[in-house]
Amino acid sequence: MNNILTIIRKEFARFFRDKRLVLGTLILPGVLIFLLYTLMGSVFFDSEESYTVKVIHSSPEFTALFTPEEGEKSQIVFEEASAADADSIKEEIRAGNVDALVVLPENFGDILAGGFVPAPMAPNIEIWFDSAHTSSVSAYSLLSSVLDAVEDTLGSLYNINVTAGGNLSTAQEATANYYATLLPFLILTFLYSGCMGVAPESIAGEKERGTIATLLVTPIRRSQLVIGKIVSLSCISALSAISSFIGTFLSMPKLMGGGIGDMLASYSVGSYFALFGVMLSAVLLIVSLISILSALAKSVKEATTFSVPLMIVVMLVGLSSMMFTTSSLGACFIPVFNCVQVMAAIFSLKFSAVNFAVTMVANAVYIVLLVWILTKMFESERVVFGK
Amino acid sequence: MQEIIRAENVRKVFRLSAKQRKLEHSTTGKKVALDGLSFTAYEGEIYGLLGPNGAGKTTMLRILSTLIRADGGDAYVAGKSVTREPEAVRASIGFLTSELKLEDFFTPAYLFEFFGRLHGLSAEQIAARKGELFPRFGIDSFAEVKVGDLSTGMKQKVSLVISIIHDPAVIIFDEPTNGLDVLTARVVTDFLRELKGQGKSIIVSTHIFSLVEKLCDRVGIIIGGKMAAEGTLAEVTGGEDLEEVFFEIYKKAVGEV
Repeated sequence: MNNILTIIRKEFARFFRDKRLVLGTLILPGVLIFLLYTLMGSVFFDSEESYTVKVIHSSPEFTALFTPEEGEKSQIVFEEASAADADSIKEEIRAGNVDALVVLPENFGDILAGGFVPAPMAPNIEIWFDSAHTSSVSAYSLLSSVLDAVEDTLGSLYNINVTAGGNLSTAQEATANYYATLLPFLILTFLYSGCMGVAPESIAGEKERGTIATLLVTPIRRSQLVIGKIVSLSCISALSAISSFIGTFLSMPKLMGGGIGDMLASYSVGSYFALFGVMLSAVLLIVSLISILSALAKSVKEATTFSVPLMIVVMLVGLSSMMFTTSSLGACFIPVFNCVQVMAAIFSLKFSAVNFAVTMVANAVYIVLLVWILTKMFESERVVFGK
Repeated sequence: MQEIIRAENVRKVFRLSAKQRKLEHSTTGKKVALDGLSFTAYEGEIYGLLGPNGAGKTTMLRILSTLIRADGGDAYVAGKSVTREPEAVRASIGFLTSELKLEDFFTPAYLFEFFGRLHGLSAEQIAARKGELFPRFGIDSFAEVKVGDLSTGMKQKVSLVISIIHDPAVIIFDEPTNGLDVLTARVVTDFLRELKGQGKSIIVSTHIFSLVEKLCDRVGIIIGGKMAAEGTLAEVTGGEDLEEVFFEIYKKAVGEV
């Protein structure tokens, strides 16, 4: 036990006394994710953005369709134009100075008032845009969606959800479902990249530099060395993942337009404990797997190369919750996949204690098995001295 | 005389990779590193394993230090079997080789404490050993400098004191003066004599004849993984020059040099 603590203390000293490692593994991931997501959010969800649209044969009935609700800013600035300018306006659209050109039928107001006209005789509304410009595309979708919606309500066979009807899901459930698909993937990715940052260096690096043999001639047991390494590497990987999380959570409101508070409040204390347990077993699994790959590798570079295919598998498994979820007990025996499924269940408020327990026990067995394999590897001269 | 190290018919075969097989012109894919090696070293003396590169010296010492396992036979260090009680063996030996490196990131002082703890020493014991060994090797002046910033000689001194931090009864040094400048090499050989004076048992491997002549009480000449000659220095040389005797033995064992 003492030896395990000695190894853990040394690994921590190695990590925390190295400013570059702390900066690169703990601080930068969070900061970079925050900056990246905030930037992405401000590009994708720029509510301030407004479009310039020229209208030929404009009518007050048309512009009235786009009147913003109280308290909101108008997204479209309409400018009247004459039919003679059509070609020059199209050039302006291509140049990016104007976002779209709408050519209305001359009697648009009458059409709105008159109601249904059978398809062949229905008048045409021209919307010209340029898909090379993002704002032009956005203007086009906004225009066409509003016009479509209006057209639907005018003398169709039936309307959907105009006078009544709607989404019965509570806002909480909707948020929960949204995060259920996204978070397991993010969590696994963050945990994996945290492990990638430290495990190859600590195992393959020590092997490459010949420092592991120095440890192996002390009376320490191989298993103590392995457990000490895995525990300390898991802690550091988890810290790195937490840094990435803080970055993600802080940038969520920008990225998704939702509040962090709403999301955090949707889950009970019990779910957080369960989540913590699943993440702990996931990080131990991943650290053990990367450690084994690192022990097989002859250098840090090789260990990193070996870890890439595993990363792709882990990320695909992480994505699985976006495509399907299963509550089958059999799935709980598949390592990593079981973590994703339990996390998805927790986030979508469908937590099953049985599945959670089976997952934890199954993963504990896998972790013990992996630690045993790594111990055997450290006893093998081909692994320790393999050049 | 009390036996301290006994190797009994130790065999070690390495599997060769395809590339090595070509280089060694081997068809079996195997290289016999130790071919039933036996020898005995006694308490309080310096035993020298002498042999050319590739003779199996390092392999034998690695088996003694339990870093690798023998395929056949067994070896005993202070009465403990290297195959059955590796932890007990490691606790009673100090093993030094240029292949055992120290982490560049840490200082000698930190590493001394770290390895002291791994050897089960208390904080007081570690401090006492440090007070003894650091001034003895002049490590005091660079105790807080990262190992990565030290010269080869300084690193070797740090490795040396760390290998004997637990005051082991048996000391195993693989090529102790290899790659060292004359000054540091002298420090190491002087220290080996000093350890012998303290009643420690020492086994060194080397291919340097003068080192054996200067230091060793008994010598074993290994050629091709077998013991070609063993005895006190006087018995092996019969009063002649060790180098000449070695080449005679080598010719007999292998043919032409």
